[in-house]
Amino acid sequence: MKAKRRVATATGPLPSTRRTPTVRKLKSAIVPARSKPAPYRPAGAGSVSASAMPDAAGESALAVDLSVDIGRGLVLPNPILVASGTFGYGIEYGEVVDVNRLGGICCKGTTLRPRIGNPTPRVTETPGGMLNSIGLQNPGVDAVVEKYSALWAAWRVPVIVNVAGESVGDYVEVVRRLDGMPGIAGIELNISCPNVGRGGLQFAIDAEAAAGVTAAVRRATDLPLLVKLSPNVADVRPIARAIADAGADALTAINTLSGIAVGPTRERPLLGNIYGGLSGPAIRPVALRIVYEVCQVVDIPVIAIGGVTELADVLDFLAVGAVAVQVGTAIFADPTLPVRLVDELEAACQTRGLTSYRSLIGTALPKRTGSPSSKGVEYRP
Amino acid sequence: MRLVGAELLEAREILPGQWLQTYHAPALATGSRAGQFVHVRTGDLSGLVLPRPFSINTADPASGTITIHFRTVGRGTQWFTHLRTGDTIDMLGPLGRPFEVDARSQHLLLIAGGLGMAGVRSLADEAIRGGRQVTLLFGAASARDVYPTSLLPDEIEYVVATDDGSMGHHGFVTELVPAYEAWADQAFACGPEPMLKALAGLAVTRRGRLGVAKLGRKRGAGKGDQVGSPAARRKAFLQVSMEQRMGCAVGACLGCVVMGTSGTPLRVCREGPVFASEEIEWEGNWGR
Repeated sequence: MKAKRRVATATGPLPSTRRTPTVRKLKSAIVPARSKPAPYRPAGAGSVSASAMPDAAGESALAVDLSVDIGRGLVLPNPILVASGTFGYGIEYGEVVDVNRLGGICCKGTTLRPRIGNPTPRVTETPGGMLNSIGLQNPGVDAVVEKYSALWAAWRVPVIVNVAGESVGDYVEVVRRLDGMPGIAGIELNISCPNVGRGGLQFAIDAEAAAGVTAAVRRATDLPLLVKLSPNVADVRPIARAIADAGADALTAINTLSGIAVGPTRERPLLGNIYGGLSGPAIRPVALRIVYEVCQVVDIPVIAIGGVTELADVLDFLAVGAVAVQVGTAIFADPTLPVRLVDELEAACQTRGLTSYRSLIGTALPKRTGSPSSKGVEYRP
Repeated sequence: MRLVGAELLEAREILPGQWLQTYHAPALATGSRAGQFVHVRTGDLSGLVLPRPFSINTADPASGTITIHFRTVGRGTQWFTHLRTGDTIDMLGPLGRPFEVDARSQHLLLIAGGLGMAGVRSLADEAIRGGRQVTLLFGAASARDVYPTSLLPDEIEYVVATDDGSMGHHGFVTELVPAYEAWADQAFACGPEPMLKALAGLAVTRRGRLGVAKLGRKRGAGKGDQVGSPAARRKAFLQVSMEQRMGCAVGACLGCVVMGTSGTPLRVCREGPVFASEEIEWEGNWGR
C-alpha cells in the first residue's frame, strides 16, 4: 500500500508547497538512465506476472534496473557507492575489488595545496565503530588530477572527487581545476572543515556559510555537485534546505560524528589530533534519523552514509528516503562488501518481483495525504 | 594481495598471553616474503569493525601454512584466541613491502624486542634457506617472556637480553648490538619504537666506530633511491619493521603513517612496514 500511495502522488499534479516536493523530485531523480521508464510495480501487489517471478535457475532472472540519476547528467549504474576516505583513489584494493561494478567512488578528500595531515595516532577502534583524524592528508588537487584523471576516465564507474577547503576561495579554486578534466563525474563538497576566514567555524554548522560555499562552487562548475552534511548540528534541516536552494544537485548524509578517545595511560586523549570523526555501525541510527529528516525538507536526492554493513542497512536507508548509499568503514573489514551489496540488492528486488529498486525508496517516510503535515517531522531528542 | 579464507589448524599459547596460530592458506604461504603481513578480520563486526594486522610469523610453502604470533591485548586479539581448529577466517594479504637482503650480505643481525619477534622471525628462515648466517638478538621484560628456542631454527645464534636480568644479558637488547656490529653485513629489527630509534642512532654512527667509512662497500639509501623502493632498503645497513594503528592496510585510509625524512608521511601498510632506517624521521614529536 505504501508504494502504491507514493506512486499515485508522484504521478499526480505537482505539489505546490515546499514540504511535499520530496516525492515529486524523488521521482525525477531516479528516472532510469537509458532504458524506457519501467512500470511501477507496487510492493506486495497481489498479481505479479509470471515473467516477473524470480527464476530459480537464476539464468533468466528478472532484469532489475538499479541505475539512479543524481541530476545534471550524473547517472550511477547502481546505488551502492564507496565513501570518501575509505577507498583511497580507487586503485588501492587492486584486484580484490572490481571497481567497475560499483555505483560510484568518492575519492579521498582533495584540497588546493598538498597537506601532510594530522599527527599519529590517527585511527582507533571504538565500540561498533572507529575514530579517525587523518587531517585531509592528500597530495593536492593538481597532483590528483595528474595522477588519476586519465585512469578514472578509462573506468566505467563514475568517480566523484571529494573536495575540502579552508575558505570559499579554496573550494572554488579546487573545483575550477577539476572542471573539464576527464574522468571526473562529479564533486562532493566536504563542508565539515573550519572556515579560516570566519574564526574557524565549520561551514557545515551554519546555514548561511554552507549555502555560501555551495553557491560559489555552483557558479564555478557545471559538474554534478553533491554536498556532505555534518551531523554535528542541532537541527540539520535548515542547513540542508539552504544548501539545496544554493544549487546543490544532491546531498550526502552524514559525515562523521565528532568524538574523542582517551589514551591507555589516561594522560591525554589518544588521537594525535585529540578530536576524531566517529564512523561505522555505531552511528547508523543517527544517520537514519538525519536522512529521514532531510528527505522531508529537500527536493533533491539524498545519498545516505553511516554504518552500512549489510543489505538490511541499505534497505533501511532507502526506506527513509535515500536514493543511494555509500559504504565506508565496513570496507576495511570486508573490501568485497560494496560489490556484494549490489548483487544482494538486485536479488532482493527479484525476490519482490520488482523491475526497479525505486519503489523501495521512501516507504518509511510520513504519509502525505492532502495538505502537508508537520507530524512526525519534529526532532524529539 | 588477495582475500583468502584461512583455516585454523593449530593454536598454542607459547608464552603467558602470547599465542601462535597456524593457518592453512596456500596463497599466502607461497606468495609472501619475510616482513610482509596479513590483515585479518574478526567475525564480530557489530563490535569490532577493524581487521587486525599480523606479521606473517612463518610461512611454509610445502604445507601451505602460515603462522601468526600475537599477544592478547584487547577484545580483538581475545576474539582470535576463541577460534577453534577448523574455523575459517578472512585474511587479506600478503600486504606491505618485505625485508630486502643484499646479495652480498652473508651475516645477518636480527634484533627483536618482545612481540617484534613476529616481525623478523620469517627472515631467519629465509636467510638460512639462502645459506646465510644469522644472529638473533632478542629482548624481553623477563625470562617468562623469552621466545622459546624450540620454535627457532637450529642454525641461528640466539642471544637474549632481559630488562630484569632473569635471563641472559641484564639490560636492553640494544646494548648487545655493538658486539655484533663488525660481524654483521646488514641488520633487521622489529620492536618498540624507542628500541628502533636507538638502533637507528647506532646505525648512523656505526661506520665511525668501526673505522670502515671508506671501504668501498656502499651502504645507506642513496639519494636517487625512491622512498619505499626495494633498492633503498637493500642498500641500508639497518631495516626496521614499523608498527602503527591501522585502518584499511592497503594505503587507502592514510591512518597508519609515520613521518619520513623527506617531510612526507609514509604509510606503514604500503611504503612499509619495512623501511630503511634512514627513511624514517626519528627526531621530533610528530605523532608521539
